[in-house]
Amino acid sequence: MDDQADSGWGPLSDLPGNPLMWVLILGELVVFAAFFGVYGIARAGEREVFDASQQLLDPLAGGINTMVLLTSGLFAALAIEARNRGDVRQCRRRLLAAMALGVVFCVVKVVEYWDKIGQGLTLETNTFFTFYYLLTGFHFAHVLFGLGLLALVLRYTSMANVETATAFWHMVDLIWIIMYPLLYLLR
Amino acid sequence: MPHSLPGERRLLVTWAILMVLTLLSLFGGQVLGEGRGEPLAWWSVALVLVATYYKARQILMIYLNLGASTPVWKGTLRAFLLVTLGLILGGYLLAAYSGG
Repeated sequence: MDDQADSGWGPLSDLPGNPLMWVLILGELVVFAAFFGVYGIARAGEREVFDASQQLLDPLAGGINTMVLLTSGLFAALAIEARNRGDVRQCRRRLLAAMALGVVFCVVKVVEYWDKIGQGLTLETNTFFTFYYLLTGFHFAHVLFGLGLLALVLRYTSMANVETATAFWHMVDLIWIIMYPLLYLLR
Repeated sequence: MPHSLPGERRLLVTWAILMVLTLLSLFGGQVLGEGRGEPLAWWSVALVLVATYYKARQILMIYLNLGASTPVWKGTLRAFLLVTLGLILGGYLLAAYSGG
């Protein structure tokens, strides 16, 4: 995107990547923040249910997934560095590494879901598990969308495209960083 | 708008910091050991939330490279982060003192 086109977006032009992606990112951050606030209010009403249900989660799996996503984010950021110096092959290799770790995150999450559903813990078990499945499921959908975007820029590897897709990927990372302690740790 | 990038060395240092902060979160959350399942002490809650704030901040400023953006954006996103973590802390305190 050239400077003339950028200037039409006002303050959004000061952010890396396509300004339209930032409209989406900022909107998603506000939506997730609202969910986190509602979760806190719901927990205040049913603290014992929430705390007992939280013990049925695996915080270590969540912690491992945090490290996996953070490492994926590193490769995404390194892909921009490679693209910036014109090394498209290196950029693609790093995007692939970021995607591979994104897939690992998905596999760990599916194993977690499988385990919980196998124990009879579903969306309808109680309020905690309704929040657990909705929040992590909504986030999971964002991970899949992010993987799709990264796959797209493997083919269309311009600097603007890589910045745009990786900005979304870091947003996915950021939301998980905040959601993990809320659902798995704080009690 | 062209942005200066953080550089590979800084990204790797940031990743290492993020890993340490994640381990601190696991320690604060008492994921392993005898504390597992017990309500967290206040120092643990504080450790988890402070580690989360710094992790989120590193992602915004270094990974997302908002450090190269304008002071208004940097301030807005930091404020947003504080409000979000404030909501989480507020919910936690509400549960702690409401006896729900």
